[in-house]
Amino acid sequence: MPNISSLNTPLSAMRAQRQILDVTARNIANATTPGYHRQRVELATPGTSGVSGSGSNAGVDVSRVSRSADDLIIARAAREEAGRSAADTTAATLSRIEALFPEPTDHGLAAQLDDYWGAWSAVANDPGNQTARSSLLSKATTVVNSLKRGVEDLTAVSDAAKSRMAGIATEVNDLTARIVTFNQTIASQTDPSADLLDQRDQLVAKVTNLTGALTQVTGTGEVNVFIGGRQVVASSFAAQLQAPNGTLQFVSDGQAVVMTSGEGAAVAATINDVVPRYISALDDIANTLVTSVNTVHAAGYGQDGVTGRNFFDPTGTTAATIAISTDVAGQPSRLAAGAPKLPGPTAPGALDGNQARVIAALADSATGASAKYQTMISGMAVESRSAQQRASVQGTIADNAVKEADSVGSVSIDEEMTQMMEAQRAFQAASRVLSTVDEMLGFLIERTGR
Amino acid sequence: MRVTNSMMLRSTMRDVGQSLSRLQDTQSKITSGKAITRGSDDPTGTASAMSIRQDLRRLEQRSRSVDDAQGWVGAADTQLTGMMNRLTRAKELVVSAGNGVTNLTPAARQAIAAELRSVRGDLLIAGNATYAGRPLFAGTAAGPAYDSTGAYLGNDDAVVRDVTVSTSMTVNVTGTEVFGTSGTGAGSLFEVLDRMATAIANGDSSAMAAEHTNLDAATARVRSAASSIGTKTAALIDLRSRIDDDMSALTSRLSEVEDVDIVESLVRAKAEETSYQAAVQAAARLIPVSLLDYLR
Repeated sequence: MPNISSLNTPLSAMRAQRQILDVTARNIANATTPGYHRQRVELATPGTSGVSGSGSNAGVDVSRVSRSADDLIIARAAREEAGRSAADTTAATLSRIEALFPEPTDHGLAAQLDDYWGAWSAVANDPGNQTARSSLLSKATTVVNSLKRGVEDLTAVSDAAKSRMAGIATEVNDLTARIVTFNQTIASQTDPSADLLDQRDQLVAKVTNLTGALTQVTGTGEVNVFIGGRQVVASSFAAQLQAPNGTLQFVSDGQAVVMTSGEGAAVAATINDVVPRYISALDDIANTLVTSVNTVHAAGYGQDGVTGRNFFDPTGTTAATIAISTDVAGQPSRLAAGAPKLPGPTAPGALDGNQARVIAALADSATGASAKYQTMISGMAVESRSAQQRASVQGTIADNAVKEADSVGSVSIDEEMTQMMEAQRAFQAASRVLSTVDEMLGFLIERTGR
Repeated sequence: MRVTNSMMLRSTMRDVGQSLSRLQDTQSKITSGKAITRGSDDPTGTASAMSIRQDLRRLEQRSRSVDDAQGWVGAADTQLTGMMNRLTRAKELVVSAGNGVTNLTPAARQAIAAELRSVRGDLLIAGNATYAGRPLFAGTAAGPAYDSTGAYLGNDDAVVRDVTVSTSMTVNVTGTEVFGTSGTGAGSLFEVLDRMATAIANGDSSAMAAEHTNLDAATARVRSAASSIGTKTAALIDLRSRIDDDMSALTSRLSEVEDVDIVESLVRAKAEETSYQAAVQAAARLIPVSLLDYLR
């Protein structure tokens, strides 16, 4: 027989279904919100969840609203995204460096070096021609300027990376401070809301993306964040970072932050490895050029019959400091085109161009400046190419990881529609039960009252 | 795997984006005409393109050296041919003087001697000839090669041109090689002609006979210099055509490495365009569809 409390059962059902409808509406509203995980109303029969529902043992209880998210999958997606950031940044940096050296063209350093050697050949053919000699000096100036500009451009790339690193430090400090706030709120609640978790996970993913940080969720639901094995976020504490001069470090003890992934790792590699490596390649080219030309030039004779002059300033043996020696700068007649006459050695004829031929032949030296520049450019092409390929592979891996996370957490409109219909039907059924019980009670009251 | 609308949207956008970026790559290759616009497009191709370009520039330099050598050798050839003509005339004069040494009047002998001296003068002018302002027969000295008395002012150094990447060629003959050295043996050609003119003027037949032999020897020296220059001329013509051949071979190799195969690229661009359109169309059809369309 129905009694008055029978009315509570359909009532609890109608409440529960209305909440399901609410959550469904919310899911649909947030279908495109970044970091949002679809939410589910978890139902339970009263007494099983320990939550008092309608105050009766009959009916249904809403035990909690949970989010469908898998911490491991979220962490994996964040890690792969960090890998993608690193690979993309590296590829972009190398591509930018590559653009600084326009090869293969007729206006890159390779062509300028060849023009320089060719100018020596022209002087060898016509040692008395002052125009050929002046033109040689201006070709040398072009090479010198190109080497200097190469270093300046590379340094600019490194400077941009350094200021980016400072930006990363600021961003990470801001993010970790907010994560700590979220952590504290989450720890204080017995059943933290899904929205809080979503927002915090998004902040953590950003830190991971920047620094390749690893995470660990504690029993109370807080998240600990580690970069390079050192903790930056604890339950109530966020380590401050700074990047003076391009090195990310802890403010507290100045120890460097070791990043193995994320944009920061690529930026650090740009500052500490890529740029210095190419600057030192340019230095090697400059040094080879200065040493090899000077050795031959100093043995030769100028038109005035004087020997022992340097072509390049012997103290400037890096790409940044290379310069034409004051012995010959602006004085084309002093260029040592003449070869020493043996035995002696004595000064050759005024129109001897044999030493110029020897210098021109340095162009074909397998260990000469031209060969070294070609090696550098080939190496750069290979490095940039493989960075692009790595970026594309990592892109696919990251896409898959994100897809995996999406497949757990993202909102499906079809599902929500089905859910909505289901809730609607259940609501209708419950109201039907309510009206039936009401009818039965009414019947009883009418009949027994007479 | 559970698939949702946002996943589909994301992967569709990525696929369409990739398809568009491939199309853009091919388009830019077609418009620039270059398969390699930066090293990473093709590292191997870049390395060979750089070395081919270097070879080409080197070859252009060699080509200029060969031009210069040809000019130099041609000028020397002209001068030496002129000298041989004048020496033939000298020989005629000497023979005619020798045949009639006893019959000739002193005035006639003086006339022959005077013409011989003018031949000597012509040879001296030829000996001081220049090419592009440089004395042809003074070695590496600034010049002139001979002073008015016929004394050599030059040196015996070689003028060398790098005519191929690995070989060089001496393009000059020195005054010593052409005219002999003053003070050794019979002395220089100018001295021989001087003494011959004096002997003819004096009617000294024994001196004339002696100088006749010397003149023949000196003429032989000029002839040998001329033939050595002739050999170089032939070698340079040969080199010239070889450089031209090499140059066109290198240019076509460079084009193979660096330039885009237009036909192939156009076909590829068309295919990529089609695939892009297909991707966009599929996306346009699929994305708006959901259960909502079938509920009322």
